[in-house]
Amino acid sequence: MQRLIFFLRTMYWFSLRNLRVHPFRVLAVLIGIAMGAAVFTSVRLAVDASMDSFTRTFDLLSGHADSTVVRSGGRVQEDLVATLWPHAAVETASPLISSYVTMAGRDEEPFLMVGLDPILDFPLRSWQIAPSSGDTSRIWFQVVTSPNTLLLSRRLARQLGLGPGQTVTLEHVNQISQFTVVGILEEHGLSLVEGGYVAIADLATMQEFTGLQGWVDRIDLRLKAGATPQDLENLRTMLPPGVRLEAPAETKESGQNMIHAYQLNLSMLSFVSLFVGMFLVYSLVSLNAASRRRELSVLRSLGASSRMIFAIVLCEGLLLGLLGWFMAIPIGSFLVNYLVQGVSSTVTNLFVRVRVENLILNPWEILLSFCVTLFVACVAASRPALLATRIAPREAMILHESAAGVTQSDYRWPLLGLMLIGLSWPLAKLPGLPGFPVAGYVSILCLVIGFSLLCTPVLRWIGSSLPFLLRRIAGEPAFLAARYMRDAGNRTAISVGALVTAMALFVALVIMVHSFRHTVSMWVYQTLAGDFFLRPKMAGINLYQDPLPLKAVEGLKQIRGAEIMPYRHLELRLGKVPFEFEAVPFDSLLRHGQFLLLHGDMGTIKADLVRGNGVLVSEVFMNQAGLGRGQRFQVTLGSTSLDLPILGVFRDYRTRGGIVYADLSRFQALTGDLTWSGARFFFSRPPQDMKEATDRLRAEVLRCCAREHPIEMISGVELRKEILEIFDQTFAVTTVLLLIALVVAGLGITTTLTVLVLERIRQLNTLAAIGAGSGQIRSMIFWEAVLMVITGETIGLVCGFLMAHLLIDVINLQSFGWTFLYVVDWKALLVSLPLILGTALVAALPAVRLVLKSSPALVLKEH
Amino acid sequence: MNPFPERVLIRAESLTRTYSLGSIEIVGIQDINLEIPKGELVVLRGVSGSGKSTLLALLGGLDQPTRGRLTVDGHDLQGANPEQLNEYRRNTVGMIFQSFNLLPTLTVMENICLPALLAGKPYHSTRKRALYWLEWLHLTNRVDHYPSQLSGGEMQRTAIIRALINEPAIILADEPTGNLDSGNGNSVMELLAELNRTFGRTVIIATHSSLADPFATFRICLKDGRIAEAAACNV
Repeated sequence: MQRLIFFLRTMYWFSLRNLRVHPFRVLAVLIGIAMGAAVFTSVRLAVDASMDSFTRTFDLLSGHADSTVVRSGGRVQEDLVATLWPHAAVETASPLISSYVTMAGRDEEPFLMVGLDPILDFPLRSWQIAPSSGDTSRIWFQVVTSPNTLLLSRRLARQLGLGPGQTVTLEHVNQISQFTVVGILEEHGLSLVEGGYVAIADLATMQEFTGLQGWVDRIDLRLKAGATPQDLENLRTMLPPGVRLEAPAETKESGQNMIHAYQLNLSMLSFVSLFVGMFLVYSLVSLNAASRRRELSVLRSLGASSRMIFAIVLCEGLLLGLLGWFMAIPIGSFLVNYLVQGVSSTVTNLFVRVRVENLILNPWEILLSFCVTLFVACVAASRPALLATRIAPREAMILHESAAGVTQSDYRWPLLGLMLIGLSWPLAKLPGLPGFPVAGYVSILCLVIGFSLLCTPVLRWIGSSLPFLLRRIAGEPAFLAARYMRDAGNRTAISVGALVTAMALFVALVIMVHSFRHTVSMWVYQTLAGDFFLRPKMAGINLYQDPLPLKAVEGLKQIRGAEIMPYRHLELRLGKVPFEFEAVPFDSLLRHGQFLLLHGDMGTIKADLVRGNGVLVSEVFMNQAGLGRGQRFQVTLGSTSLDLPILGVFRDYRTRGGIVYADLSRFQALTGDLTWSGARFFFSRPPQDMKEATDRLRAEVLRCCAREHPIEMISGVELRKEILEIFDQTFAVTTVLLLIALVVAGLGITTTLTVLVLERIRQLNTLAAIGAGSGQIRSMIFWEAVLMVITGETIGLVCGFLMAHLLIDVINLQSFGWTFLYVVDWKALLVSLPLILGTALVAALPAVRLVLKSSPALVLKEH
Repeated sequence: MNPFPERVLIRAESLTRTYSLGSIEIVGIQDINLEIPKGELVVLRGVSGSGKSTLLALLGGLDQPTRGRLTVDGHDLQGANPEQLNEYRRNTVGMIFQSFNLLPTLTVMENICLPALLAGKPYHSTRKRALYWLEWLHLTNRVDHYPSQLSGGEMQRTAIIRALINEPAIILADEPTGNLDSGNGNSVMELLAELNRTFGRTVIIATHSSLADPFATFRICLKDGRIAEAAACNV
């Protein structure tokens, strides 16, 4: 205990007081750590909030169901309830329909409407009518017996401005109907689904509204205690072809996996800020130890053990980490609110619908952030601590502290750097875990560390080879700056390493995002070709469950002036892999658009595709389902099986999984399903005014079909613009994280240059004493900053180009199943490089101002 | 040969310290044979580069000999491991440096107490002892001041108390007046002499200055890393 007290006392005397003497330097590092920790924590909390919303909705909707009866790409007959109920293992069987609906005539957010049998559903899901609505028994009875009656969750009622007794008109593709709100739900159980925005109706009401009399989305089963796997097998034999029994968790898992992959990628990106912050801690602790070398040697001479010196220096780093983490709390609180909206919007746009109402501070995430921050700080401080133990006590007797000495060449580190760079590519080839490209991330880490270790020899080369050239260009200050770079060794290399990391990531992401956008743009214009698109209203969020009504289809067939290309869209599963299936008339689609083929040649396979003798699968489908060109695509649709060869693999950037395209005529012939999920229109001749032409077409569709049946319509131009806007919004979060990493690296430059000036104050004042002007000395510091930043930018650029390959060919492939064309946005890079240089030079200003602050005579006398 | 071997505090036999700088070998000291009795005030003289600092560093446990044997107060410094050297520096020797070497972020009291705390002694009793010495050296009004607030003489007196706090057997002073004016220098030398005379400490002073000559009881002259002269003085 006494030793601990003594250690803490020594820490306070030796470290804390020293940190207090240099508040700006310490603050810069703390801000860097705080930003890194805040970003890391907020990103994880934001994604957690989306995950929590999704999981909670799913769990609440699943209730106590042990299994669920579903049909791939379709619905289940309601009378199956009567078949399954008598089974000895079944405690209850509850049919359910759920669909997103919206208020007619108002631009409100869609909400989930759930139709269930209140009696059969009672053991599975809990919901309660609020007593404030009136006589709850009477209300309950009304829901069961009166058609078109609704219960609203409290939040939804508040949002829509509705109360018991009021009516509301709701839209579904089948019809537009008026409903009476008979009660408000208590805030628990089912009423908390979708962030608390949900309506409940009787199953019959829902069936009438959606035109699904006799059909349900699924039947949830609760099994009796003691039900065996054999019982489940028996139940499966009772199901008609195409209908299966699955665990509720299966669908939940696929949604969670998508969010997990997104979370992981964002977490890694946000970790970069913390990683760059690590360089700051290393830099400050290392420079502190170097500038206080004499004091450390005095401590040794007075009897402090090397273990104690190690502990003091290490704890200094840990203290910076700890203080930085606490400083992250207010920053994180602000950031998380911004990120929650951005992240949940991205998750909804790309993966699954989530609605985050409350941010839950997951204590495990807070703990993770705390531990990671301290770990990073500990790692950062460990090497300076180790080096500090090598300070000999004899140094206490040296009269004049020698100037930052010439660092001898140490080839070990650059050699290690080259080895790590070489290792990164074979590492990247290793298979990752599903959705977790661990080898890819390790490979990127090797690349970044490898290139960072090359900073010292590059700086030495600059200092050895360029001084005379620099002297000719910019005079003596530039010459001196280059010479200093040669001799400064690790002192500057660390901050340059931080800049390399941030720069590499910046370059890699610029290339990756541009490549992605370029490829998505090609996909959008080729595969999503079409002048006009229509589908049932909210088809997307309802997963295309409801096709266009027959009347609407008949009306559409009468439209002239444009070629109509209908399609049938189904959401299916192959084992545990969800995917989209789309049946299209290939002859029409291939006349107006194209597929970006990865495998297969369109010239060879086109005829077979048009005849319906094969399918095309997306790259994501191929990677997730493990089925590619030359293999067979087999799926059961109702009572029919589809078994066709895979003729080609194409690039596709839908985010909810892979997609398989088959010919519509062949599909209709095989399945007898003649319904349309939507249609694309192609004008026979390109109109002079596309907007006017699509507006006319829109009006015609409204007139013929969309009055009774809400239909979504969008021009091809608007659709493609919207997709690219969603793309840009998705990467907005990424851009913010990246900019933060660059700011943290800039802080590193500031800290390093400032400390280096302080370390050399005697030399700088000696220069002044022998005739150097203040402008020349300041110019020298600026040139040091220029050389450091140019080194960092150059090495970072090279590293970034390689990292982009890893991001595109490894990380994206293993995380999401797709790749894209590698295209460099030279313009963006060439514009940004001088901007980064300029920003980093601004970071040098505090150091420049420090120079010659005191009278040279005084400084030299003191030393 | 000393007729009273139990009175010998420092014994060096063929003591040598060399430094390697790449392929060049620099001799600090070579074949030093020496016996210094307890209770002496030793003045170690020699020009720059003669080996004074090297010898002092070895005596202070700040460095270890390349060859030979060195025993101080029964401690064999040649064969000592790092832990033993730490112990030696804490308890057996007190160092006074030319540039004072006070830790700038510690107050006078804290600088003084530091060696005792490093040796595991309790703070309160150490503080009491420190106050005694501070009073003796007229520094009680500077107890909570930082080194930057002290004059050169005050800093060196603080350094002297720091060297005394663990009641070491031997005080080593490396050019203790080198950074002081003649007035302060005289005061410091008188202090060291007083420590020797009144408190019986063995004091070894490495110096160019002649200020210490009147107080010396033993004189050692080094030249080119070897002893040119080593003899007791008539005080």
